[in-house]
Amino acid sequence: MIPRIALIGNPNTGKSTLFNRLCGLRSKTANFPGSTVEHQVGRCITKSGQEMDLIDLPGIYSLMLEMPESKLCADCLDGRLGDGRPDAALLVLDANNLSRNLQFAASALRRGIPTVIAINMVDLALRRGLVIDERAASQALGVPVVAVSARSGQGIDRLIEQLTMTSTSDATHTRNLPLPNTEPGSTTSAIWAAEVFSAIAAQPKNMNDDRMTIHDRLDAAFTHPLLGIVFFLLMMSLLFASIYWLAQFPMDAVDGIFGWLGSGVESIMPAGTLRDLMVNGIVGGVSATVIFLPQILLLFFLLALLEDSGYLARAAFAVDRTMRRFGLPGQAFMPLLSSHACALPGIMATRLIPNHRDRLATILVAPFMSCSARVPVYALLTGVLFEGRPLAAGIAFTGCYVLGAIVALATAALLRKTILRGPSTPMMLELPDYRVPSIRNALAIAIDRGMLFLKNAGSVILSIAIVMWWLSAYPKSPPSPESVAMEIRAVEVAPTDSNAAEILRSQAARLDERNQQSGSFAGQIGAFCQPVFAPIGLDRQLTVAVLTSFLAREVFTTTVFVLAGAGSDADGEDQGTLATVRTATRDDGLPLFTMATSASLLVFFVLAMQCLPTLVVVARETGSWRWPLLQFSYMTVIAYVAALFAYLLMS
Amino acid sequence: MAQPPIRIPLSQLARGQRATIECSALDFLPNEHRCLLEAMGMGEQCEVRVCRPGTPCIVQIDRTRLGLPHGIADQIMVTPIEPASP
Repeated sequence: MIPRIALIGNPNTGKSTLFNRLCGLRSKTANFPGSTVEHQVGRCITKSGQEMDLIDLPGIYSLMLEMPESKLCADCLDGRLGDGRPDAALLVLDANNLSRNLQFAASALRRGIPTVIAINMVDLALRRGLVIDERAASQALGVPVVAVSARSGQGIDRLIEQLTMTSTSDATHTRNLPLPNTEPGSTTSAIWAAEVFSAIAAQPKNMNDDRMTIHDRLDAAFTHPLLGIVFFLLMMSLLFASIYWLAQFPMDAVDGIFGWLGSGVESIMPAGTLRDLMVNGIVGGVSATVIFLPQILLLFFLLALLEDSGYLARAAFAVDRTMRRFGLPGQAFMPLLSSHACALPGIMATRLIPNHRDRLATILVAPFMSCSARVPVYALLTGVLFEGRPLAAGIAFTGCYVLGAIVALATAALLRKTILRGPSTPMMLELPDYRVPSIRNALAIAIDRGMLFLKNAGSVILSIAIVMWWLSAYPKSPPSPESVAMEIRAVEVAPTDSNAAEILRSQAARLDERNQQSGSFAGQIGAFCQPVFAPIGLDRQLTVAVLTSFLAREVFTTTVFVLAGAGSDADGEDQGTLATVRTATRDDGLPLFTMATSASLLVFFVLAMQCLPTLVVVARETGSWRWPLLQFSYMTVIAYVAALFAYLLMS
Repeated sequence: MAQPPIRIPLSQLARGQRATIECSALDFLPNEHRCLLEAMGMGEQCEVRVCRPGTPCIVQIDRTRLGLPHGIADQIMVTPIEPASP
């Protein structure tokens, strides 16, 4: 049986860095049954090959606080979470903040679990002149104590040795030691901690306080009402510019790999249903999800660096005042901003928000922010709306972003006054020391988030992609008389004009594709739903395009080009393609895109929840399908009403 | 007869000024906030130094820096122990 060891400690003690040092990449994010509070589980393998499972619990200030994280830690230590009590606890204390950490240690030691204490960041403490006496600490606390530096690896081997011994023995070391019977913060606890501290740490009288002055100045600048926001916007601009620019290369690579994979499958499999399913259903569906992975990895890597540097806690205070007006905390700004790249990492980044209601409100409004998947749709529709007027098109493009942000903030204010009503938790945060962030740690966090995204979103999306493929592929429509005539004509002209023959064949193929679209189950559903969309100016073709774009917004442009007969490989930037779309007609011969239809569609896409992966991630993050269903209904109604208003205004 | 110590809200301290958290200093706060602050290190008899007054009010306790909204700092009654440095 592999021993289980729970890692506990105050926030900012370097607990997760120590966890990553002990487990490397052998870890995954997990939830205890019935809980949405996450923890990491990793496997530590000693040099002799012995294995231990480490459970990295959330950082907490006390085991008795009325907070989900505190309750989870207490339940885990007391064995109330299904797996029984852990075999041992690894208590992580910050050497630079021992007085407070020792008070927490006392309350954890009272649980009676075999414990090893790691006093972390001893290298930093030594620079300040603070020397920790391991032996004295062990005697004073009655459990093995190891001084470590998770960042440099100092003391890690001895810690693993102690953990191995402690987790495999039944001894409870603290049974004869007097521990304060009160929680951290009480006078008794503080006096006890002060006594232990003086016994285990040699501290020079003249502490180096010069750094405090630098800290004071940085804090004053980063949390200043005006300067702090300027810094924050600058930092975020850099962050997102990096994500946009850096992610495009791996995204192109992912796209290329899946394209190559699709072509490979197409060339080795015989034509038919199975090949169609593989190429258009499975490879296409998986690529639609995996393409977002580089953005997610980059975002979480850069965020981890920022958080580790100590800046993020200050930034949250800088924007807190503005966000409070809309019922959101300062920590919500960053997830909302990152939703402009993609709502998925934005929603996952809401884990930084401690209050449940605040977090839920942020998750529910994040998809209103215009993500990169909307860009092709905006480009197409503003191009159609303002043909030959790039300035007006640019203003409309910006207006889409502004409209999304305004509706998001108004919705947040509405939610916090209605279904998410309740006291807003004031932001009381510990501001960690400024330090050089750990790349190793940031990499581990990014990889973990990426794997979680792939595992949870990919599996569900794959199933739905297959369903969507089936709906659009069946029933098979026979070739239309027009396309058959074109094929015959192509054969006739081929000997004399091969170019003309090629054009005719390609026109025939597009005609067949169009027939297939309208005759398929998806097309029939489109025809059935068209009366619902008729008031906002959509015909059958555009209704199908809107419905198919539910899988992912960017699908809209492809569908429109196919329906308009412009070819499915168009990318929305080609002038000839845009011209074709502008001149496309409905079944009754009227123009497909009028000013009113384009405006109504544009507003609809700004506000509608046309993204299946987002709904899946919201369900995962909130632990229920209730919230994504509410979000989908609310956003669809808002989008429909606003689109109707735009259509009537422009008609 | 000695005068009882003057107690003022934490929010009224100037930058660099120090104060002590006396018994019942956090009594005006809701229980959940009081417990959290105590666990974060703002217990009885601890000494706080104001690093940044205003919103947020940043205080230092031992080696811990805490950022507090003005509304919370306003409800924490402290006993100043030295005047603010010029």
